[in-house]
Amino acid sequence: MRGRNDVLAALFLALGVSSVSPAGPAEPAAQWGIETLMQQLSEVSHAQARFVERKYLKVLKAPLELSGTLTYTRPGRLEKRTLKPKPETLTVMDDELTLENPGRNERRVLKLHDYPALWGFVESIRATLGGDIKVLERFYRVELEGGPAKWRLYLAPREPSMNEVISLIRIDGRQSHIDTIEVQETRGDRSVMKIVEDVP
Amino acid sequence: MKSPARMRVGIWLGCVLACAIIVARSQYAADLAAFLPSSPSPTQRFLVDELREGAVSRLILIGIEGRTQEELGALSRALAGRLEKNERFSYVVNGAQEGLRGDGEYLLRNRYVLSPAVTPERFSAAGIRRALEQQLDLLSSPTSMLMGDLLPRDPTGEMLQVIGRMQGQGGPDKRGGIWFSADGTRALLVVQTRAAGFDIDAQEQALAQIRASFEAAVPEQHAAGARLIVTGPGVFAVESRAGIKRDARRFSLLGTLLVSAILLFVYRSLRVLALTLVPVASGALAGIAAVSLVFGSVHGMTLGFGATLIGEAVDYAIYLFTNTAPDSTPKTTLQRIWPTLRLGMATSAFGFGAMLFSGFPGLSQLGLFSIAGLFVAVSVTRWVLPELVPQGYHVRTAAGLGPALMRWLSRAHRLRIPLLVLVVAAVAWLAARGSTVWDDDLSSLNPAPLRMQQVDQQLRADLGVSDVGSVIVVRGDSEQAVLESAERVGATLTALQAEGVLAGFDSPAFYLPSAGAQRARQQAIPDAATLTRNLAAATDGLPFRAGTFTAFVEETQAAKRRALVTSQDLAGTGLGLKLQAMIAQRQDGWFAMLPLREISDKRLLEAGLSKHDRSQMVLLDMKRELDELYRGYRLRALGFAVLGAVMIVVMLMLTLRSATRSWDVVAPLAAAVLVTAGILLATGTRLNIFHLVSLLLVVGVGSNYTLFFERGNPGAADPQRTATSVLFCNLSTVAGFGVLGFAATPLLSAIGTTVATGAFLSLLFAAILKARSPQGADDH
Repeated sequence: MRGRNDVLAALFLALGVSSVSPAGPAEPAAQWGIETLMQQLSEVSHAQARFVERKYLKVLKAPLELSGTLTYTRPGRLEKRTLKPKPETLTVMDDELTLENPGRNERRVLKLHDYPALWGFVESIRATLGGDIKVLERFYRVELEGGPAKWRLYLAPREPSMNEVISLIRIDGRQSHIDTIEVQETRGDRSVMKIVEDVP
Repeated sequence: MKSPARMRVGIWLGCVLACAIIVARSQYAADLAAFLPSSPSPTQRFLVDELREGAVSRLILIGIEGRTQEELGALSRALAGRLEKNERFSYVVNGAQEGLRGDGEYLLRNRYVLSPAVTPERFSAAGIRRALEQQLDLLSSPTSMLMGDLLPRDPTGEMLQVIGRMQGQGGPDKRGGIWFSADGTRALLVVQTRAAGFDIDAQEQALAQIRASFEAAVPEQHAAGARLIVTGPGVFAVESRAGIKRDARRFSLLGTLLVSAILLFVYRSLRVLALTLVPVASGALAGIAAVSLVFGSVHGMTLGFGATLIGEAVDYAIYLFTNTAPDSTPKTTLQRIWPTLRLGMATSAFGFGAMLFSGFPGLSQLGLFSIAGLFVAVSVTRWVLPELVPQGYHVRTAAGLGPALMRWLSRAHRLRIPLLVLVVAAVAWLAARGSTVWDDDLSSLNPAPLRMQQVDQQLRADLGVSDVGSVIVVRGDSEQAVLESAERVGATLTALQAEGVLAGFDSPAFYLPSAGAQRARQQAIPDAATLTRNLAAATDGLPFRAGTFTAFVEETQAAKRRALVTSQDLAGTGLGLKLQAMIAQRQDGWFAMLPLREISDKRLLEAGLSKHDRSQMVLLDMKRELDELYRGYRLRALGFAVLGAVMIVVMLMLTLRSATRSWDVVAPLAAAVLVTAGILLATGTRLNIFHLVSLLLVVGVGSNYTLFFERGNPGAADPQRTATSVLFCNLSTVAGFGVLGFAATPLLSAIGTTVATGAFLSLLFAAILKARSPQGADDH
């Protein structure tokens, strides 16, 4: 079913029929789909937000709570700057992931190609923000629920190596904004990240 | 033929047959190590052994290119799969994790005896508390999902300690889990052969196996057009041997054809032309046979150099034939020229004889080859050749050539001043250049063509491995002793690393700690009751769920009681191979190698290491050390060459019983050698050991010219005939060696250019300096 909707959406897009207006509350369901959403997301070239992340871990009695800022610059740069409880910065630039922890006096640079699971996780955020459906579909089976005002994206990892770590990612959003990213880890741990976008 | 003559020919034929059999059964080698000293210091011996048979000598680096990344990745996997099944290879890696799973299991299982952080303090309540706080910190990190399920089993993070030391050792980029060059155009693999690097036959088979596996994998993966690049010490040896063989064959053939054409023009007889080659062939056979018998194998360089013996040995027959006047027989001619011929041979033999005792297998081989070859060639000329020459044969020199030569000779003395100027200029230049005259880079000795050396550097850069770096070599009387030493040195290095003196290091003790260290770590683990008590105290107030760490208590107790890890536990894993490359038993004990990374302050490093027993430990800059080794070798070779020159002079003085006559023989040679060296330098060449040996050959060949020219020479009854015969000898030598100058093998081209230039100059200078003798002779 979804495939047919995609084709329709693409057709409308190609014909210029679908002029997406962010405020438009009642778009016909046939016009709105993954392609439209991705197109909408890809129009954002820079985004900055604050986040609050809760990690529910098996070994811990209570969840860990982290907060900080999230910055995205098209096409390949993503920065997650954790400020509390301890400062730590993760920066992704194309294929290179840098992890900086001033507390441990540590700076590590990894190639995403060497860590498929980590790469897939990074793309769940980066490719979603960039509206890059090709990359998303390379790593995940993608399913979309809801409408432009309130949508939910399910990402199920394709690769077994990634499936060993992550079983499902759920992204909630409205129009071209992302509100929540929930990661369900295969071993039973879970993290929920709430995102509040800064008004530019 | 009279019966003594028949007997002589019979003996000769028998000897030729015997030599041919020996030659056919000879082993051939082409490794550089044969040109390293045979009685070195223990450190040098370790280096030489490493070069010959160490783990590094058995590495083959492979690149696959020419298709898309996915296809290259699939080809890499397919090739690795095939090679892994093959008995010839002990080790095949292409970056895919599958091959390394055994390593992870070994490290995890033995983490409590491997981790340097295991101390009694580590398992106290405070120690565990500190570790757990760090773990909490890691759990909040964005990469926490990669930590896996290890935390409950390993709350003190020993696995991280063990792996952390191994990280940062670089490694190529990966694409789709497979090693690739940085630009992504070439998939990379590394394999290790079971056979030693110097076993060229085995290396050749391994190489053929790799090529065949690749050829089979290409259609399977539908990747036609993919290219295979292979390099490594063994590949070098194989290709060099093939290259030398090919070049030697091609250029000796070409040289022989050219020389034959000249001689045919002179002799106008095919039979005599064939006869000229008889002493040469006999000499070459005898030379190879002698080397094979004495050394057990013949080095490719000896063979390459030996092919050039033609240059001198062919002269003997030419002297004989061209000096035979119409009214005489070869036998009477021989009686006349024999003393000169014999002296010429002895001169060369003395020159090369010095090499015989140099202590370097490669040089000794050259010495023995030359002496045996020349001795046999001159003997065949003396005792066998006259029996084979057609009755009444004599060479008709081209009319007018003799007189023209004599006219030129009578005027040649005018060139004496320019010659003097030339020699002075050459000497001044050589002196001014000083030691920069010599190329002391060991790679200049590398018999492989430059193109292959470039491919090698490219692949090494891709893989992030350099064949030469700094390494600490530790010696011990047993495996345990050497591991303990490696641990002591490692402790110093860790401290220096923290100060930033070096970026890091690797040690065999990382993978196999000494029994003492393992036992100490086992004893550091408290009993179950104590540990449980400490753990309870440590987790108090931390958010960990109760009962999380029961596996930790169980596993530490198991580790405490388990038998110590030995090298057998590592057999068949990637780490086992790594260990093999870093620890080795040799004749004089056990050696461990600790490769160092990025030394920023050599002085501080030396100072830090000074507290260790330096007699059992050396810091080696591999590249410098090897070049030093070679420099020493070159210096010794030079010393022996000078000694050979002195012996030649002494012998000439004793034989000729006249300082003036000896001067007449030696002066043109000395001038030729100096000017040749000057010309080589002027054309941008830096001299290496091959040039040195070639200059010795110049002395050998040139001495024949100067002896025949020399005024007291009893052989010079007919000056015109002598001059013509020397000219033909020279022409053939210059042609034969000149052709060799175009060979792709650096060794052969160096010999060719040097000898051709030197031989020509010897004759020219001999003629110029001889020119005074007509007047001089009149004065007497």
